[in-house]
Amino acid sequence: MPILVSVNPANGISVPSRVSSPVIDIADLYKTYASGLRRRKVHALRGVDLQVSRGEALGILGPNGAGKTTLLKVLLGIVHPTSGSARLFGQPAGDPKARRRLGYLPENHRFPTYLTARQTLDVYGRLSDLSDEARRERIPRLLEDVGLASWEDTRVGQFSKGMMQRLGLAQALLSQPEVVILDEPTDGVDPVGRRDIRDRLRALKQTGTTVVINSHLLSEIELVCDRVLIMHKGRIIRSGTVDELARQGSGWRVEVDRLDPLFEPERWSASLEETGRAIVVEDGLPETLNALIDHLREEQVQIMGIERHRASLEAGFIDLITSQEDAS
Amino acid sequence: MTTLSGSLLLTFRELWAMRLTQAMLVIASLAWLLLSFALNMDVVEGSLAAVRIFGFDTTPTDGVFNEDTGEWMSQALSLDKFMIGINTFVFGAAYFLGTLLGLFATMPLINGFLEYGRIDLLLSKPLSRPRLLAGHLVGVWLTVLVLSSYLVGGVWLSLSFKTGVWMPMFLMAIPIITVMFAVMYAVILSVSIITRSSGLGLVITYGLIFFSIVLASHNQIVPVLSNTNAAIFMAFYHVLPNFIEVVGVQAQLVEGTVVTSWYPFISSLLFGFVTYGIGFFWFSRRDF
Repeated sequence: MPILVSVNPANGISVPSRVSSPVIDIADLYKTYASGLRRRKVHALRGVDLQVSRGEALGILGPNGAGKTTLLKVLLGIVHPTSGSARLFGQPAGDPKARRRLGYLPENHRFPTYLTARQTLDVYGRLSDLSDEARRERIPRLLEDVGLASWEDTRVGQFSKGMMQRLGLAQALLSQPEVVILDEPTDGVDPVGRRDIRDRLRALKQTGTTVVINSHLLSEIELVCDRVLIMHKGRIIRSGTVDELARQGSGWRVEVDRLDPLFEPERWSASLEETGRAIVVEDGLPETLNALIDHLREEQVQIMGIERHRASLEAGFIDLITSQEDAS
Repeated sequence: MTTLSGSLLLTFRELWAMRLTQAMLVIASLAWLLLSFALNMDVVEGSLAAVRIFGFDTTPTDGVFNEDTGEWMSQALSLDKFMIGINTFVFGAAYFLGTLLGLFATMPLINGFLEYGRIDLLLSKPLSRPRLLAGHLVGVWLTVLVLSSYLVGGVWLSLSFKTGVWMPMFLMAIPIITVMFAVMYAVILSVSIITRSSGLGLVITYGLIFFSIVLASHNQIVPVLSNTNAAIFMAFYHVLPNFIEVVGVQAQLVEGTVVTSWYPFISSLLFGFVTYGIGFFWFSRRDF
């Protein structure tokens, strides 16, 4: 098979790849659960299409029950799809061979409490088919990397939530996977720990590892991911780069030295900041901005600065989900 | 092979962490230490003339009247019968208590194996579901095999050295205990996989064990039933495990008599195969 070089558009890094096809390829995927005595149907996934390229960092966002975890579980073969296809490295999801090149950190993972950190990694290393030599070499290094070196002989039962997350991350990276799937990786981790995990994920990206993160912490996704997809009620309702998604509903912020008390911001679909020295033009259209500037100049108002007023990813996410809820 | 060793290691460590496994080892050690050091026997011409436990004489007091001398004489026990009695007692204790306690002890093991956050992590590893389940099962079976070998083998060696009477068929208790435990474990495991409730699995397994007491009396019960009820009863007899009747098989083996019927053991074994088949099928198909 020819070795190709793909360039990650987000960071410009060249990544050697053996195949040009996406590492994750999901087409028209449906998953319906039947629950209760009446076998009430719950549609967790409704026609999901997704391709993830090698070296890409993808963030999955969505409210509770959006289908994020189900999507990841189908990919890992933990949940069987109702219809459609999910492929990992070109092989059907659920094929153990495909999972050899994959690391996974589940949400609320549980390790046996009687094992020490080192024993835990040793057992899960064996389950990942790692040789004795590889385990001997990698386990101390990974424990060092995630800040658990001094706790290696402590039983996991005594670990805090944050320490468990770090150990879970070490476990996911043990087999030096090409794809890492993390479900809420910073859940319960303190701010310093979150930064460490973020740095670790960024470093992974640099090495060309494909990273898929499912998180409620939008700031995490914003800081790590190249691409974000937003799920709602089993569907992908928006997909794009962080910038593209954050720009939804963005506008301009015009800073001025003073304002006429009779200034009517509504004429320009704008609002005033509390200081009274800045106008936020909501619609983001250049024509509106130029009309406002013309008006301000006529009124002899000094313009101190103009900048794009970009909503955060969180604001964009909330707007989108709210509009979806309203529509339904 | 490394993946299977990981699955085995996880099960062994889990079983070892459960105090009951260690307690069973201690009880087994006490049993054969007791027989080795606390039991003293006087063997005279192949018969047991006296038995002392912790120095106290426990020789049977009932005797036979010698008409020639007109005196009561103490009755010497047959050594073989004594050995059969001890062996049967040890087998019975290991078989019933071992199985009932062992099944109870495995409840948290199954819970842990199927728990969310744990099972998804195991399923994300590069080994197939049947292989993962097989690793778990082999770990449990091997542990039971080791425990029963330790108890039965220890008792057998201790008694045989003491008396000079070697009854190798007593060792058949080891595979019988292990296999019958495996058969009953099939029930608790499969029910737990299907319902995700190991508690329900345990109740059903215990229910089957107690129902096998009724099934063992089929010769007395069937004649008093109507044809339909008798057919239903016999269907249960053939389909469900005959846990109690297997005791008779072991007893005949130890006594050195011909085993009249292996059917209870074989039908139980078949039940185990089918139940494991259902468990494996469900484990492979279900979502976690």
